Parts: sequence; C-alpha cells; structure tokens
Amino acid sequence: MPAHSTDPLLHPEVRQASILAYGAGFVASTVFMAIALVITLGRVLPYLGLLAAISALAMLALLAQVVLLFRLDLSETQLWKTVSLALVIPLFVLSIGLTGWMFHTLYPRTMLHFMAVQGSGSMM
Amino acid sequence: MSGAQPVLWLPGGEEHDPIANKTFGFWLYMMSDALIFAALFAAYGVLDHRFNAAGGATARQVAHPVDAFWQTLAVFASVLAYSLAMVKLKAGSRLGVLLGLGAAALLGLVFIGLEIADFASLIGQGITPERSGFLSMFFVLVAVHGLHMLFGLLWIAVMMAQVALKGFTTEVVTRLLTLRLFWTFQASIWVCVFVFVYLRGAF
Repeated sequence: MPAHSTDPLLHPEVRQASILAYGAGFVASTVFMAIALVITLGRVLPYLGLLAAISALAMLALLAQVVLLFRLDLSETQLWKTVSLALVIPLFVLSIGLTGWMFHTLYPRTMLHFMAVQGSGSMM
Repeated sequence: MSGAQPVLWLPGGEEHDPIANKTFGFWLYMMSDALIFAALFAAYGVLDHRFNAAGGATARQVAHPVDAFWQTLAVFASVLAYSLAMVKLKAGSRLGVLLGLGAAALLGLVFIGLEIADFASLIGQGITPERSGFLSMFFVLVAVHGLHMLFGLLWIAVMMAQVALKGFTTEVVTRLLTLRLFWTFQASIWVCVFVFVYLRGAF
C-alpha cells in the first residue's frame, strides 16, 4: 500500500485477489480429493499403501490451498504468515504422530484384551 | 554506550499498517486453532480401534465417503464463492461482494445440512456419541469443524449487513479479509477430516 494511502481497496491483501488463482485452487483441491475417493472405493491398495496414497493427495490439496487460495508466498505482504505456518506444521504433525506412536506401543503392553482383537481394527 | 543511538520508536510517528496487523493477528489465532484440531485428530487416531468401539459401531460403519465427498464439494465451492467475492472487492463492487458472500453462505448451509442429515441418520441407527469412546471422538471431531462452519455462516451474515450499510471502510475491508482466512481455513481442515476420518475409515 502506498505510504499514505487511505483507500483500503488499495491494500496489497485486497489487490492479491485473482480469479485465475482461486479457480485453479478450487479445481486442484477438488481433483485431488476425487482421486483419493476413487482410490479408496476401488480397494486396489493394501491398508498402508492406501494410507500413503491418500495422505500424499491430502498434502497436495493442502499445498494447492496454501499457494492458490491463501496466496501465501515470500512477498513482504505474506512473509510472516508463511513463516508462522511453516513453524506450526511440524507441531501439527508431531502432536498427532507422537500421540499415535505412544499409544501404538502402549496398547499391547497395558491392555490385556488388546491381543484378542489385534488386527481387527485400523489403529494408527 | 557511546555514539548516536538508533531510533527504536517514535511516539506519534507513522503507524503500522492497521489492516495487515489485524489479518496477521487473526492468522496467528488460526494457527493455534490448527493445534486444537491436531489434538482432536490425535485423540481420534488413538480411539479409532475396535477395542475403543466397545462392541459398538466402528469407523467403517460410520464413515460414508461418497456422502462426505458431497460435503467436500459444498465447502470447496463455498470457499470459491467467497474468494470470488474478494475479486469483486478488488473491483470495488458492493453488489458483487454481496452476491459472492450470499453464494458462500448458501453453499455453507448445504454443507451444514448434509452434516446434520448424516448425524441424524447415524443417531437413528443407535450410533450415538455416548455409545463408546470412539464414537464420542468421531462426533466431537466432526462437530467441532461443523461448529466452526456455523460460526463462519453467522459471521458472513454480519459482514453482508456491514457491507450493505457501511460500504468498504477500512474496518469492513479488514473484517472481510480475516473472514476469508477463516473460511478458507475450514476447507483445509475439512481436507484432513475427509481423508483421515471418512476415507481412511472406509477401508
């Protein structure tokens, strides 16, 4: 925004609106999720293969949203949003992953009935 | 210390960009909200096991991926409609912004309607939150996202009134930008819910 601009419509966060980027973000997100649905319904992959495939597609959809819908980049306008997101992503992944790992090892050692039903569920 | 001291701040001097300050502050709130969802996903991941279903419904019985895909389309389309409203904001079109916000609200209502129908169907089959730890977590995770959507719809309604009555003041434009961040964030969280609850659960 110019140093003394008083028109909020000239703000860089308003000016970054783009019909092309938003349309591409919508199409990319939808296509990635549709592929994930087809893979799941097709039942052609084993459980771990399916998990890897749909996780990769989720990451692609989220990346498309970050770049094309949130319009995050390293510009002066968006830099600190991008940095804060980059710092939060490891916390997000670690908090879920470490909790899952902890219980994955805790269940067999603490729950006596676990062995009777092991393999019949889909725990992380 | 010796020599000229650098000026750290200047009372009454040029202020920071008030719009960017608020959108960045709101962005940081959303990052903390993402960590709340991380805790919910972690709890769901732990409880998503037959042992925690306590003889009741498991993920395969509650996750209907095709139905959830319609919700996915609704929330993505709603975010697109809101984003197009921002293109109209850039052009200074009050009518265009109102139409975009209205379309976003309608599609958001479709999303909420589909979610309520899904919950009603499950509850009608006796699949209720109190049945097991797994079901409690399933309903909580999906409903917390739904509550975010509901709050977003309320916020959209308020912004439609403000745009109509006040026009594009600095305050209104700032709120439209922060609401866009919030609304788009709901689509990102839904990607995780759709993939890790509905698709993974259907295996």
